[in-house]
Formats: sequence, C-alpha cells, structure tokens
Amino acid sequence: MMGRTVLGMAGGLLVLFMSPVLAGDVAVSDLVADGESYSGTEVTVIGELVGDHGNRRDGFTWTQLNGDSYTSAPVADGGPLAGSNIGIGIRMPTELVDGLDPPGRYRRVGPIVRVTGVWKYHDPVRQGETYLDVTSMEVVDPGRTLHEPPLWGSYVVGLVFLAIAAVVWWQYVRRRDGA
Amino acid sequence: MLIRPAADDFRIIGAALGRILLVVAGASMLPMIWALLGAEWHPLGTFVLMSGVFALVGSVLVRVSLQPSRSISVDQRHLDWSHGMVVVAVTWVVVPMIGSIPFWLSDHYGSPLDAYFDAMSGLSTTGLSLVQDLDHLASSLNFWRHLLHFLGGQGIIIAALVLFAGRGITSLFAGEGRDDRMLPSVQSTAKAIWAVSLVHLTIGVSALAIVAYAGLGFGPVRSVFHGLMIFFAAFDTGGFTPQSTSIGYYHSAAFEAVTAVLMVAGALSFGLHFRLWSRAARRTRIEVPMQSGGRDRGDRWSILRSLEIRSILSTFGITMTLTLLGLAALGVYTSVAGLSRQGFFQILSAHTGTGFTTIPSSELALWGGMAFGGMAIAMALGGMASSTSGGVKAMRVGLVVRAIRDDVKGDLLPEGALVDDSYYQFGRHRLTSDVARSAMVVSLLFVALFLIGAGIGLVYGVPLQQALFESVSAGASVGLSTGVTSPTMPGLLKLTYIVEMLLGRLEFIAVFVLIGFIYSWVRGR
Repeated sequence: MMGRTVLGMAGGLLVLFMSPVLAGDVAVSDLVADGESYSGTEVTVIGELVGDHGNRRDGFTWTQLNGDSYTSAPVADGGPLAGSNIGIGIRMPTELVDGLDPPGRYRRVGPIVRVTGVWKYHDPVRQGETYLDVTSMEVVDPGRTLHEPPLWGSYVVGLVFLAIAAVVWWQYVRRRDGA
Repeated sequence: MLIRPAADDFRIIGAALGRILLVVAGASMLPMIWALLGAEWHPLGTFVLMSGVFALVGSVLVRVSLQPSRSISVDQRHLDWSHGMVVVAVTWVVVPMIGSIPFWLSDHYGSPLDAYFDAMSGLSTTGLSLVQDLDHLASSLNFWRHLLHFLGGQGIIIAALVLFAGRGITSLFAGEGRDDRMLPSVQSTAKAIWAVSLVHLTIGVSALAIVAYAGLGFGPVRSVFHGLMIFFAAFDTGGFTPQSTSIGYYHSAAFEAVTAVLMVAGALSFGLHFRLWSRAARRTRIEVPMQSGGRDRGDRWSILRSLEIRSILSTFGITMTLTLLGLAALGVYTSVAGLSRQGFFQILSAHTGTGFTTIPSSELALWGGMAFGGMAIAMALGGMASSTSGGVKAMRVGLVVRAIRDDVKGDLLPEGALVDDSYYQFGRHRLTSDVARSAMVVSLLFVALFLIGAGIGLVYGVPLQQALFESVSAGASVGLSTGVTSPTMPGLLKLTYIVEMLLGRLEFIAVFVLIGFIYSWVRGR
C-alpha cells in the first residue's frame, strides 16, 4: 500500500510539475477561491476531466475539470487523502472531445488536459452560471484504468455474520412456533 | 423517585430495535446488488460486511429479547411512549454506526468519525459531507449515501412499521418527528407514506433522467444514475450529490427546475401530499377525517387557508426577498436573470432544508448582510411538519406568531372581550396554551441548539457568521456549507454537528427520553 502511494504520488508530481508544457497559468483552486478576479480573462488551467461528457445539441460539451491532488494521486491508486475535490465546470466545442478517453470516475483517472479559455464568472448570458469557456485543449495524459482489489476479509467476516444471523433467526422462529 | 427500568423494558426495546435493524439489513442488500451489477468488488465486500453486522445484531436482539418460554412474552406487551422514544433514538445512533462501515473501508474517509459523520448526515437528510475525492467514489457507495437519505427521509421506523405490525407503535411514529397521522391506523399511514414516496420516485427519477439524457447529453445509464441520486437527495431534502460541485455540475436551468419541484415536494408534509393525491380531496366538497377529531369541510382552496401553508409561503417570501435584496446590494450578479435563477435556487434549497447549491462554498461564505440573514433564517425555519425537512418547521412558526398576535390582541381589546383563538388547519382547531407552549419550547430548543453549535465553532476560531451558518445548517438538517465543514475541522466540531444533526432530525424529545432512560438506569431504584 505504501509503495503504491509513493509511486502514485511520484507519477502525479512528474506529470504535473516536471514538464514545462504542462503548467497552467492559473490553478483551478484559484478560480474557485477567487473567481471574480479572473472574470472575463483568458486563462489556461490543467486538470482532470471527471464525471460525464455531456454532449449537448448546441454543439458544446459540458464536463468538470478537477485541479486537486487526486488528479495525480488517486485514492484508488494508493494516493493520500487531501480533502474535497476542487473542480470547475467547463464548456467546449464537442469536436474537442472527439476521441477523448472517458472522464474520471471510480477506478478511472480521466484525461488530464491543459485547456485555455475565457473564465465566465456569473455569466449573464447563462443566468449567472460560472464556467470556463474553452477554446483550445491539449491532452497531457489520456487517462487510465485503475485496479482496486477486493477486500476479502470483509467478504469472509460478512458472510460468517450473515450465516450466524440466519441460524439465530431460524432458532427463534422454531422456538416461537413451537411455544 | 426515579424508577430503574426493569429487564422487561430492555427486552421490549431490544425486540423493537432488533426488528428495525433487520429491516435495515434487508435494505442494505440494495447497494450490495448495485455493486454486484457494477462489478465493484471492493465496495461489495464492505456491503456484505455491513449487512452481516445489521443482520447479526438484529437477530440476536430479537432472539434474546423475545423468549417464548417466558410466562408473559415480551411480544405480547406493547411499547409504551418512553420505550418507543428510546427505540427511535437508539436506532438513529446505531444505524449510522453500522451503516458507516462501507464508507470507512472505502479509503475515502480520514477516520471512522468522518465516516459516521456522513452516515448520520445521510440518514438525517442533512447533506453535509466529509467524503474526500467524491468524484472517484464507487457508484455503489454513492448509491448507499443517497439511499440513506431515502431511508432516513421516508423513515426507517416507518418501513419497519409496514413490515412488523405491533401494538404501541404510535410512539415510534412520533419519535421520528412525525405527528401527521393521515389514516386511522399508524400502519396504514406508514404504508400511505411509502406509496406516495414510490410514486414520486418513479415520476421524479424519470423526469430527471429525461432531462439529463435529452437536455444534458448524458448516456442513458448515467442519466438514470444521476436521476436516481438527485431524486433521493431532493425529495428527501438531503443534499448529497454524486459530484463534488453539487447541482452546479449540471449547468442546466431545466435540471434545476425539476430538482426545485422535487425539493418543494419533499418539504411538504405527507398529510398534504395525501390530501393532494386523494381523489376525495380533489372534489369540490371534501371531508377528510382529522387526527384531532375535527373534520375538514373546506373546498379545494382550503389548503391555501391552512395556517401551515400560509406560514411557509410567508417565510419563503420574506427570506427570498431578503436574500435577493442582499445579493443585489452586494452586486453579486450583474443580470436580473442571474440574480433570480441563482438566488431563487439557493434560497429554495435553504428553506426546504435540502442543501443543494449551484455555487461553491467559498462563494457562499462571501454572502454577507441581508443575503446571509435571509439564507440563515430560511435554513432555521425549514419546511412543513411531518416532511423530510428539518428546522423549526412552518407549523410551529405559524402557531408561535399566532399565539403572540392573540396575546397582543387580548391586551389591546377591552377587558372581558373575547379573542378568537382558533386557527385553520384542514378544520378549525383551538390554539390552546398547551399547543402554543409546545410550539414555543421546541422553537426555543432549536434556537439554543443553533447557538451552542455556533459557540463551539467560535471556540475553534471560526468567524461568527460562518459558525452560525454552519451550526444552523447542521441543526436544521440543511447541508449548505461555507467551507467550515471539512475533513480537517476539529474532532469536537465534527461531533457537535453530528449531535446537532441527530437532535434536529428527531426534534429533541426522543434523544431527551433516551438520556432520561439511561439516567434512570444508572441512578434509579
């Protein structure tokens, strides 16, 4: 477990910080914490696409971009717990999503992308929604599937408990009906 | 003199508790099946363990408590009021304890206390959460989180009532903060509540899934998944969501609109649902038997004349006005459409006690002045009695205001003049001093709860506004957060919010009776 944690963290750090190409000029956490300051400006952020790719009829796709430590070190891969997710909504032309791997979910690290777009803070056109209107996207890492092994101990203990419960209940019913 | 509870008292309580835990064991098969279908083997094992613990504890309690060989079987004695209250309180402490096993073993929680916090938050339909990396959580665990909302909102006790008929079960019903008996028997009322809920489930999930599929462009399976999760959380005024950005994730006015309808439906009392759904009530002239013995001879507009409806419409109008004016003053939104959509959704979420949001908690923390006041008051007041929302509740607010008004009126009128002390709530009722006192006492207990929680927050250095907001959110089972609730907050603060969630959801009495029961056991003779 420890080994996986270290490997996961090291891999994540490598992806995020070692290559100058990957650096975003703004962190997702900055946009969340102080969104108003970036209102209407063009920003470049890096993060993991998670959730769903909602391909809408107007030719845009909506999804969520997370910029937290789980992007580099997922919990299922032994990464450490580091608080809640930090994510923003992004809207991009659907053609940018074509060929992209599925977004991050359980046992799946989504594509890590570097996106550039205009930060729409309380956009009056969309009745006050806040999102990044993406104009260009670069895939940094296509994403990957993770393996989470079953917790065999919980199966064994749980099944033993269920069996004992069944016996106890059966005994009770037999005595009740016989009484 | 305090009387120490006898062994039979424990057996009666144990038998009822055991049966309830067996019902929950049955319900916990659902996430197990979900995990099996989704090939989520790690969570599956944890659900097997949880079901095993529920079943084992439940069956042993029943077996030990009900001994057929005894001359007078405990089964033949019925639960009295205090037994019922103790059963409810213990159930609400124990179920989240066992129900948190899959959370703790998922590696998404920092400690067993964090896992218990989420299980209590789920069951009490609060919606505050300490889960970490929610966006990568297994779907079966997400399902269990949201199912807890459904079990807690519709009432696990009620589910047990449907399955296990027994005498003296009225106390169980009341212990969960329900006093709206729609039908002559508690069991038939419990069945009606579940029937109403299942109809809403079908309609609500379908509506959300259709919007997600047709409007948001999600795949069919994911549309149903999101529909189901959001339905559980909206209709049970819970507030959990499958994604970390809450309802803001969907970026859709249509999705928010359907969610808003479900939140309102969840905040309505089951009695009102029953009347709205009942064919008889739709006739021009209706005559519905009342719990109080009065009869409702009103017309189709009688609903709008009821004290509770008037109360909730008034408080919603006032708090929404406050919030919107506050937001306008702060200049948070530059367009009327933005102010209306975002402001309306947050205030509706607060007043119904749901806790959904379309904005990050960091932004909510910046809402000061009237916007903060409107939100905090809305959260504290909550929805209708016998609904899934928490807080003081509209009926009590109406009764307290009415009692004060009558008192002032009495003082102003000449001595000996009579003041009409009746109110309309599907039939005319007298506002006796007992009724007024009861409403006032519970209202004051809520205020005390909010202040104590805020005080503990202040001790830990949380700013006053945020400490108050968070405390009200926990105590009124809302779930909105300004960012104080996080895995890194002190353990005692987590414990404080857990206690607030429990006390607020059960409306104090059951927990107080449990404390009295334990005290009598220790100190009684």
